[in-house]
Amino acid sequence: MEFKIKELMVPLSEYATVSIGSTLFEAILALEKAQEDFDHTKYRHRAILVLDKEKTVVGKLSHLDVVRALEPDVEDGDELKELEKFGFGDTFIRSLKKQRRLKAAPLKDLCVNAMRLKVENFMQAHSEGEYIEQDVSFDIAIHQLVAGDHLSLLVTHEKNIVGILRLTDVFAAIFHTMKECETTLP
Amino acid sequence: MKELLKLFARIIQRTNINLRETGFDVKPYVNNLINLDHMTKFYAFYGITPSHPLSFEFLHSSLAGSYFLGKIRTTNSILYKSDIRGDELKQKGDVVHYKGFDIELPKDEMIDIEDSILIKTLVHNFSHDPETLEKFFIRSTVSTQYANIHGSPTDGSFVGPFATIDLTTMTDCVIGAFSYVQASEISHLNVAPGTIWVRSPDVFNFWYRYPAEQLAHYIYFEAGKPPQGLFMDFVEDRKEAFQRIFDVVNIEHPVSVPHNASLDRFAVVKAKTHISENVLVSQRAFLQNAWLGKGANAQENCYIINSRLEGNNVTAHGAKIVEAHLGHQVFIGFNSFLRGRADARLTIGQDSVIMPHTIIDINKPLNIPPGSLVWGLINDQASLEENSVSLKEFSKVRSFFSKGRMFFEGNGAAFVGVFRDRIQHILEANGALYNGVKNKGHAQKNQNISFNTIQPYPNGDFSGLYPTILIKP
Repeated sequence: MEFKIKELMVPLSEYATVSIGSTLFEAILALEKAQEDFDHTKYRHRAILVLDKEKTVVGKLSHLDVVRALEPDVEDGDELKELEKFGFGDTFIRSLKKQRRLKAAPLKDLCVNAMRLKVENFMQAHSEGEYIEQDVSFDIAIHQLVAGDHLSLLVTHEKNIVGILRLTDVFAAIFHTMKECETTLP
Repeated sequence: MKELLKLFARIIQRTNINLRETGFDVKPYVNNLINLDHMTKFYAFYGITPSHPLSFEFLHSSLAGSYFLGKIRTTNSILYKSDIRGDELKQKGDVVHYKGFDIELPKDEMIDIEDSILIKTLVHNFSHDPETLEKFFIRSTVSTQYANIHGSPTDGSFVGPFATIDLTTMTDCVIGAFSYVQASEISHLNVAPGTIWVRSPDVFNFWYRYPAEQLAHYIYFEAGKPPQGLFMDFVEDRKEAFQRIFDVVNIEHPVSVPHNASLDRFAVVKAKTHISENVLVSQRAFLQNAWLGKGANAQENCYIINSRLEGNNVTAHGAKIVEAHLGHQVFIGFNSFLRGRADARLTIGQDSVIMPHTIIDINKPLNIPPGSLVWGLINDQASLEENSVSLKEFSKVRSFFSKGRMFFEGNGAAFVGVFRDRIQHILEANGALYNGVKNKGHAQKNQNISFNTIQPYPNGDFSGLYPTILIKP
């Protein structure tokens, strides 16, 4: 069976989106709402798209980005990142992070602080390889996901973003094809 | 001066090409640091002694106010008031031990400076790179005021003011102001100002970084402006005393010097200074009311003022000691700035190690216990406690240690051992342990150096450049 990207993608209108300037908490609420409205037979959404004033997608906020916002003391975090550059071992840096976390505020306080932070400080901007035209062939989508190690691609049509092609939907399509092949094997 | 301008632009271009990966542009930092018009105003000079191999080759270079000793070649380079001190270079037949190899030198080592600009920089020691034992090279490199390039072959790099690169082969790196790096081998690294990094791969790793805002009070360097801050003010305030030393042909110092001690003719010595046996005072050192006990030393660009050093003290290149009392065998690392006050003296107990690039600046008396390891920025008792540990306790570290802004990974005993060995080596090399028969060092060998001066073209296209000069035994 020949898959079409626009049939596999989640249309932008069904995806969780927030505007620049929103808080992390508003982003999480948007994700929850999108999930409620979404077809429950499909896999859950795992990210929120961030839009600018012109409703153009400018970034993506993943689960990991939200968790990253809970990391205590950004300044110390930067210092620890520097240590990697200067030849310190992973074990040492992990133990320092653990010490810092133990000294930091309880999880409830970290969450309260994090929910007020702005999405633009934690979102990831998209790279060139994360865009795909809706009419290109399915194997190109597979190649882009694999080559860029991406969890999703932004699907474009006439320079507008029209949807999200998620790894999970591509996987489901591949799995479906394999099952079809199995039934036709001699 | 056409040729000098061309040379200046060419060196910057070459350095920038090497640094293109870091995105660092040398030009705005160095453009106004030296006035090329003044390169004709200062003579260069070299020393001759019976104790050091002699060979100077100056090719298409400007050498204003710079000093040379040992075996040195400069090619297509601009050196401004720099000290190129080749009295610790390896000699033919010396054997270097490296990871189970015994490598014999087939010829004397030389310092080879090419396509580089060195401004008030000290070059000393010898190459520790087993791949280039006969050549301590400095290529396509720009270094700025009071930087130290110590036993570190350097290629395509920028060294900020008061920075030190020590026993490290460096390629395509930027070393920020007042950073100290001793890490065997580094490449393509941009080290932020005020980073103190001592690493022996697979053995230990020590790292500290000054808080940027507090460091700026002492040294601040941005593109388009000369270095600023208390360190610059401190040396500028004492600049005039050196002017006289360089203007006068025969100079008489106002102190008596024992027969086995050495006081360089280009050091400044003010009243009430005392020099004991086996003391070494290098050129561009500044002593004022300084009591130097047996075997103490003051190396290049050191300032010792209203202070007493009990003996066998190492005051490494560029260290400054004001209103302090140092016990026996206290080590003060490169470019450290120790400032007590007349009514708030600094006391450092014997056998302590003050890490390179430490700042101790106090308004109340401070007493550092004997056998301490001290680093970073210290203004009072609380910051001393955050930035020090006893050497005995530190020797027990087997894996990790962190305190304040300092991080250490590895074997504490090995780290302490390396410092102890190095202090011992410096004392030996400086002649601090000379007993009248054995252990002669710089304090004995550097006596009675003859100095010759050389001059550049006074005007014309080559103004400021020196003609090709070869000086051989």
